[in-house]
Amino acid sequence: MNHVLNITANNTPAVVERLLQVTRYRGYQLTGLEMKPRSDRSVAITLSVSGDKPIHLLTSQLHKLYDVVQLELAGSELAVLSA
Amino acid sequence: MKGAELVLKVLQQHGVDTVFGYPGGAIMPIYDALYQSSIKHYLCRHEQGGAFSAIGYARASGKVGVCMATSGPGATNLITSLADAMLDSVPVVAITGQVSQAVMGSDAFQEVDVLGLSLAVTKHSFMVRSVDELAATLNEAFTIAQAGRPGPVLVDIPKDVQLADIDAELQAISKSNSNIQTSLANAAAARKLIAAAKKPVAYIGGGVHMADAMNQLQQFLASNPMPSVTTLKGMGSVAKDNEHYLGMLGMHGTQAANLAVQQCDLLICLGARFDDRVTGNLQKFAPLAKVIHVDIDPAEINKVRFAQVALLGDMKQILPAISTQNNCSDWLTHCAQLKQQYGWRYDHPGERIYAPLLLKQLSERMPDNSVVACDVGQHQMWVAQHMRFSSPRNHLSSGGLGTMGFGLPAAIGAKLARPQDTVITVTGDGSFMMNVQELATIKRFRLPVKIVVIDNQRLGMVKQWQQLFFNERYSETDLSDNPDFVALAAAFAIPGHCITRKDEVTDALEAMFTWPGPYLLHVCIDDKDNVWPLVPPGAANEEMITEAKA
Repeated sequence: MNHVLNITANNTPAVVERLLQVTRYRGYQLTGLEMKPRSDRSVAITLSVSGDKPIHLLTSQLHKLYDVVQLELAGSELAVLSA
Repeated sequence: MKGAELVLKVLQQHGVDTVFGYPGGAIMPIYDALYQSSIKHYLCRHEQGGAFSAIGYARASGKVGVCMATSGPGATNLITSLADAMLDSVPVVAITGQVSQAVMGSDAFQEVDVLGLSLAVTKHSFMVRSVDELAATLNEAFTIAQAGRPGPVLVDIPKDVQLADIDAELQAISKSNSNIQTSLANAAAARKLIAAAKKPVAYIGGGVHMADAMNQLQQFLASNPMPSVTTLKGMGSVAKDNEHYLGMLGMHGTQAANLAVQQCDLLICLGARFDDRVTGNLQKFAPLAKVIHVDIDPAEINKVRFAQVALLGDMKQILPAISTQNNCSDWLTHCAQLKQQYGWRYDHPGERIYAPLLLKQLSERMPDNSVVACDVGQHQMWVAQHMRFSSPRNHLSSGGLGTMGFGLPAAIGAKLARPQDTVITVTGDGSFMMNVQELATIKRFRLPVKIVVIDNQRLGMVKQWQQLFFNERYSETDLSDNPDFVALAAAFAIPGHCITRKDEVTDALEAMFTWPGPYLLHVCIDDKDNVWPLVPPGAANEEMITEAKA
């Protein structure tokens, strides 16, 4: 299954590495990456991934990253996972 | 003031009076500031040991553990311990020196990409680029380490930042970690499931005590009497006088605990994560059960096992909210029968020491609030099976990562956190040698840690698997050329004694506990003794192999 994740994150030096490390470790393959720094020290990142497992197993882990401010799964009602 | 002094002032603001570490080139300014600081630094003899001491300190006390190391090899030596803290959700702040920014990225002496290395083993990590960011970054590190599900945070500080001047006043720190979002929207659904259950079981993990919800747990189990089981990290959560407690579940769990979970119709998972050592074959785990899952970490919900009802947030608020009336007296009677039928037996034949019996005797002899820090292997499972604890903070065991070498340095940290309590490390002959250099730390600070080395001259757990599942091909598990452990301890001015027979145990334990300082008890056991029961790989938890069936 292919998925597109729209992420707003703090624009810190390692933020992209953190996203990619979690994506690889949790068993998903990166198929596309776009990023656009914003003026407010955040960065808009679009991750395209594919994987056989349910996508919530990735989104929940990415959302835990301290630098991730917002995470949306494109074309889905699954939005931000929180209490 | 220099950045290095600011680091210590911020630590003091957070109530830190104890740090563990090892100096080196890139962290020398911080060590220079420590020279006149009121913070007490405990010199370990390997950075892995220092970080394990920080973990032991944190787990025994509930406070944040702090460790320090220099750049390059100092920092890489922390990695195993940080991974351990990550998997067991331990609040640790690790501070590493880094080479100056002028040479960063040039493969300078003792330079390694510590921020990059930290990604997989920390909850979060920082590289401080300017002394102006230093205090705020350290404050953030303490907040993150404790907030929500705790974990390790690393702060990498280049040497030029440590040496930079700053005249800023310290900002007051805010205690933001108490602000936990809790959703009770599903509490009614949980109460309905509990009220309707005929065979409920409470499955208790480390999340309960980390949420400081021990009282709420006892009240929940009193209001809704039901059998309870614990994970390795949850041991000590259930009051010792709770007659419905069945022990640890999972691969080396009690038969009563595993059978009850396999037969239950409702599994109430409290701060646990359905680890594979708990579930065995996941498809066959608790096959009849609906699940209520209570956790602080949203990523644990439906990660491994689907939960019919999930509640996220503060365990202290959730447990009273899901409490209701339940009548399962037939089930309680059945589980009591399981407990009776499958109780431990200690009538091991022969004169040699039987480790389960020794540990039962140790458990009965030690003062009630003693801390036991284990290593990893057969002795670790025997401790979990045969010792009882009044709090999970009294049982320090490397659960998620299963790190040999954990026990001795964790005991050092625990002793410094709780100097009034007896601290014992129960270790194996394999694990003990993994961080044996920390005997020097015990010697230097005259720490009265009691060391029990259970010696079967083997890497026992691997040997057990080779015996059962690899056609008795004992590849690289023979340790019959072990050193003389009593002589080794003596080299660090630690007295000791070696025992080989059952009838020596009582007097040996007495001698160990009455000796005022550190002491090593070398216990020789039969290399043929194995850990039972055992759920073999790929099997369901009711398919336990017992000693009688082996």
